[in-house]
Amino acid sequence: MQTNHHKERLYKILVIGDLGVGKTSIIKRYVHHNFSPNYRATIGVDFALKVLNWDQETVRLQLWDIAGQERFGNMTRVYYREAMGAFIVFDVTRPASFEAVTKWKEDLDSKLTLTNGKHVATVLLANKCDQGRDVLTNNGIKMEQFCQENGFVGWYETSAKENINIDEAANCLVKHIIASEKDMLQSEVSDTITPQLEKDKGGTCSSCFRSQ
Amino acid sequence: MKCRRVWGWGNSPDTLSYLESASLMSGTLESLSGLGEDGSSVGSDSEINGLTIRRTDKYGFLGGSQYSEGGEKDIRVEVARQREIKWIDMFNNWDKWVKHRFQKVKLRCRKGIPSSLRAKAWQLLSNSQELLEANRGKFEELEREQGEAKWLDIIEKDLHRQFPFHEMFAARGGHGQQDLYRILKAYTIYRPDEGYCQAQAPVAAVLLMHMPAEQAFWCLVQICEKYLPGYYSAGLEAIQLDGEIFFSLLRRTCPMAYRHLKKFKIDPILYMTEWFMCIFSRTLPWSCVLRVWDMFFCEGVKIVFRVGLVLLKQMLGSVDKLRELQGMYETMERLRNISPDTIREDLLVQEVGISSSNMYTSKICFCFDSWTRVMSHLSCCDRSSNLHFLCLPHPPTFFPI
Repeated sequence: MQTNHHKERLYKILVIGDLGVGKTSIIKRYVHHNFSPNYRATIGVDFALKVLNWDQETVRLQLWDIAGQERFGNMTRVYYREAMGAFIVFDVTRPASFEAVTKWKEDLDSKLTLTNGKHVATVLLANKCDQGRDVLTNNGIKMEQFCQENGFVGWYETSAKENINIDEAANCLVKHIIASEKDMLQSEVSDTITPQLEKDKGGTCSSCFRSQ
Repeated sequence: MKCRRVWGWGNSPDTLSYLESASLMSGTLESLSGLGEDGSSVGSDSEINGLTIRRTDKYGFLGGSQYSEGGEKDIRVEVARQREIKWIDMFNNWDKWVKHRFQKVKLRCRKGIPSSLRAKAWQLLSNSQELLEANRGKFEELEREQGEAKWLDIIEKDLHRQFPFHEMFAARGGHGQQDLYRILKAYTIYRPDEGYCQAQAPVAAVLLMHMPAEQAFWCLVQICEKYLPGYYSAGLEAIQLDGEIFFSLLRRTCPMAYRHLKKFKIDPILYMTEWFMCIFSRTLPWSCVLRVWDMFFCEGVKIVFRVGLVLLKQMLGSVDKLRELQGMYETMERLRNISPDTIREDLLVQEVGISSSNMYTSKICFCFDSWTRVMSHLSCCDRSSNLHFLCLPHPPTFFPI
């Protein structure tokens, strides 16, 4: 259906973490290059698209901004589907939001795996770093250790307000996503044919109204 | 600023004249004369997203996507006055009207409740006034209690994130945000088993735009318990089930939209969660929000379903429209940011109002299908705790259909 004239990659990226840690602000900063203290609380899920040039290719990042309140966690399975990477965000001024990071990571890993069985690349963001540093994030070695133990590919101190490290964090994530994609291709056994039904040939004829 | 709030006009309804209602609009504007050219009375929030805003629209919005440009036509003065008189007459004999002439009440709600009488009408339609009278002092009592820290913490984080472009809620720690805190907190004490759900805040804020905290509280109670039971509860099962029901109704009412959403694997909870849980208050142009709420208070949850179906039909219901939406993201973008130009208040209300008895019948049929499915899924769970599912998609029982 889609003919690619030049190479283009599309990745779905999740942005998760406790409520009020700044997920929406990070996305707005990254995509729209601005910051406002007046964003509405996210209810359910929101979306944004970021287009990047990456080694002469176009990379489209579909950012999924997911409501942070615990009870919306019941819907995360639907939100997570087919994602290739994730940011887990906490607020450096609120230790409880850091404690929730492992809970979010577990939720993510339990509901989402790549076709090769591995977990999706995840970057940890210590947001609101302009508002003073948490004791924990002061200790880089401890944070590195935390990331290794919990399967994060990296971590960044960020500030959506002051535009600190957001591009860097995103680049890190994209790099790991591309690497994991290559890894997935290699791990596929090349001489196996997987028969699949054509999607469009369902009981109802959805191709009838396809545009010419 | 509070001019639009007409409540407690008590025993002498006849004193409410057209003039008073006409002054509502000018009152809103006049109140802005107290607002400096730089919008200083709304504090630092007057500069929102780099825009300096000086004037509110007639609903109190300073800007944002729900700001009304004022292009819409107002109804004629004589018509407005006639409607007010009719409503006041209904108020005076409310029980009789609801009991014997409900179809007429319904029709009048569909035509739109006069803005001067809206608060009173919503309270009567929802029975929240009765609830308040039966529970005099209860709200104060709830307010005196401390509340659970885990809820208060979340509520506080949400206070400045509700209608940040509305004059009532723009100022940090302003009256709007204070009242919002009061009623959301009171609800967590009133229903400790339910606590606080983020989607309750916009609903509570809309109520506060029309009535004082105590009235708004009881109105919120009715919405959470009678109109949309289970929508805000911990597991959010009710909204997910209604999502499935909604999708099934779409298959019958607009197969083209249904097939499109199915093709791109767009699960109903991706777009309808906010629509339904916030009763479209964050989705539609403000004049439409009010009209939808007028019908909702009268007819119940089926209005929410119908509005959703009409929106999907309008956005995804033709080959032309779908041609632009050749992907999941494009489609989601369209559904998440409904352009105010595509929604016409009168058309929306008309479409929603088209009596869809067939639809309703099919809905009931579907309810039984889905109920059976849910029950089989829940076979290992405690069924009794999920019994409320059965009555969910129906209008609240106290509403004549």
